[in-house]
Amino acid sequence: MTPSDNLSRDPAASRREFLRRGLQAGAAVALTGGLASWLWNRHPPGDFNRGAASALLPDFSDTSMGPTMAIVTGKNRAAMVRRALEALGGIGRFIRRGDRVMLKVNAAFATPAILSATTHPELAAELVRLCLGAGAASVLVTDNPINDPESCFNLTGIAPAVRAAGADLVLPRAGQFAPGTLPGGRLIRDWPILREPFRGITKLIGVAPVKQHNRAGASMTMKNWYGLLGGRRNQFHQDINGIIVELAMLVRPTFVVLDGTTSMMANGPTGGSIADLKATNTLVVSTDGVAADAFGATLLDKTSRDLPYIARAAERGLGTADFESLQPVRAAV
Amino acid sequence: MASLSSGRRPSARETAISTGVVCVLVVIAAWLWSAQAHFSPAVTVAASVAQAAEAARSSAAAQSVLVATLPAGLRAMSPVESFSPDTLSDKIDGKAELYLSAGFLAMRCQRFAPATAPTAWFEAFIYDMGRPENAFSVYSSQKRTAAQDAGVGDYSYLAGNQLCLVHGQYYLEFVGADDREPTLQAAGELARAFVSATTVARHANVAKDEALFPTEGMIAGSLMLLSADVFGFDQLKNVYVARYREGKDDLTLFLSRRASPSAAGQLAAALRGFFVTDCGGKETAPPLAPVDAVIIDSGGAFDGVFVSGALLAGVHQAPSRAVAERWMQRLDQCLRSATP
Repeated sequence: MTPSDNLSRDPAASRREFLRRGLQAGAAVALTGGLASWLWNRHPPGDFNRGAASALLPDFSDTSMGPTMAIVTGKNRAAMVRRALEALGGIGRFIRRGDRVMLKVNAAFATPAILSATTHPELAAELVRLCLGAGAASVLVTDNPINDPESCFNLTGIAPAVRAAGADLVLPRAGQFAPGTLPGGRLIRDWPILREPFRGITKLIGVAPVKQHNRAGASMTMKNWYGLLGGRRNQFHQDINGIIVELAMLVRPTFVVLDGTTSMMANGPTGGSIADLKATNTLVVSTDGVAADAFGATLLDKTSRDLPYIARAAERGLGTADFESLQPVRAAV
Repeated sequence: MASLSSGRRPSARETAISTGVVCVLVVIAAWLWSAQAHFSPAVTVAASVAQAAEAARSSAAAQSVLVATLPAGLRAMSPVESFSPDTLSDKIDGKAELYLSAGFLAMRCQRFAPATAPTAWFEAFIYDMGRPENAFSVYSSQKRTAAQDAGVGDYSYLAGNQLCLVHGQYYLEFVGADDREPTLQAAGELARAFVSATTVARHANVAKDEALFPTEGMIAGSLMLLSADVFGFDQLKNVYVARYREGKDDLTLFLSRRASPSAAGQLAAALRGFFVTDCGGKETAPPLAPVDAVIIDSGGAFDGVFVSGALLAGVHQAPSRAVAERWMQRLDQCLRSATP
């Protein structure tokens, strides 16, 4: 007699068998579930904080009234940035006592300052001094460079300069990145963003040199935010204009500084030779990064029409490509 | 199931429970599918960082200096870094495309300094471009206007703080922290050490192609081999261009060797379409010569295209139609005299 015969002839035995098998199946499911739960890594690689995944960077933009752009000509970066900020109402308009300031420099490459591929250390140091002089509680300097961070910050001269001026330097580590999704974004979706250094920050300043860029046409203040992205970000080069616009959507700084004292006219963004450089002797401070970049294009013998991301950022309402409409304050030192 | 195989119909409760179990399994499968479809790049990042670090360690351990025999008095300041087509942009960011489109295979780099002058450091980059033509392409397309012949390798120049050269399939860059003599001298010694220690199958030599261009009026050292996206046209690849000066104006002559006369003709038609459709140009009256040439007015700059055998040739951004026609005829004459 087979078990099936038993089942078919004895309804009670069938019920018992059903219950027995049901319990066995339940135990198997519980065992499998327990095992899966035991194996599940609640902390993804890199200690990324999933809880912060959907949060955006704070909006640091200055909504107070007043001039929004200053263009200063000269050769001394420190003097030019001081003059530009004076023209906009003084550093005190932007930085107040107790502020915690982040200075986002361009430290992308481990190259000397003379190549102008990175933020000039004298300019970064002067901004640190100005912020601390305005009563800032702290100034933090950071970037996620293309090359090894320690070499980049040291060989560019940024690390010693800003430390001497009183800033804290933050070299990016994997644990400081958290995935973020830009609402309305097509490219920045669940993508690692340098978020941890923003904890407690109340003001954000972007400082970028003027450079020709092989893919983007030019690298200036908006492209500078690329250094807040982690991961295999080089894939964004396939849509370089799109990612620059999304970065401008993602980051709303207090103000930006565009350093065109020496502009990299060719072979950017790395350059490599001082023969690529031209003394354009101009520095811009603006609360409108789109306008700053539109002006910067002129230093590269281009117009904003040559750089599609400028028009697209303007269409998104992130600023104006018509920088003259801001009636920039012009000065010389 | 045994009970089913014996013909007993399952009870309503059994059917409900079975359906419930199947539904739960379907939901779990759907969730797994959805989670996999939205796989976080953060995981890839963490994995790739670890792999890159391991690769860097392996590379550094395998070879601690870039050049087998380091010149006396020169000291390595950093380990050797190695980059593949997948990782080149990790080192040179947006400039990687220039190399990738020219056939890039691998790059190694390292920083050095004279033992007696540590501030006179420089970084050496050795790009393996696969073929001498590819190496010449990236060399010539980046060549600085204020360059001086450096006399090392197949082609070389010194521009400020930088020494660049071609040695066979290799393109080398030496980027100095400054443009002072100790830095440049140390970079030059390392360059010569690499050239003497590295045997190449074939050297770069573009003299034959350069000879196809008119010599009169050519801006010295302006010959370039452009690998891709020439004049912004994605179909136009591997094109020699040379710049010329006529009075106050500059113009460019170009040549590209194609597989056959018909291939050259097809590309000429496509380029003509590009100048008209994408650049908003207007075709002008056909010139008397070369045969079947076209000249397009691109908003005050004039582009001309013609075919000579398997060569696509033309003029780019001439200041006037007459100048465009004249230089096309000069180029055509050179091509005819070079082709028996």
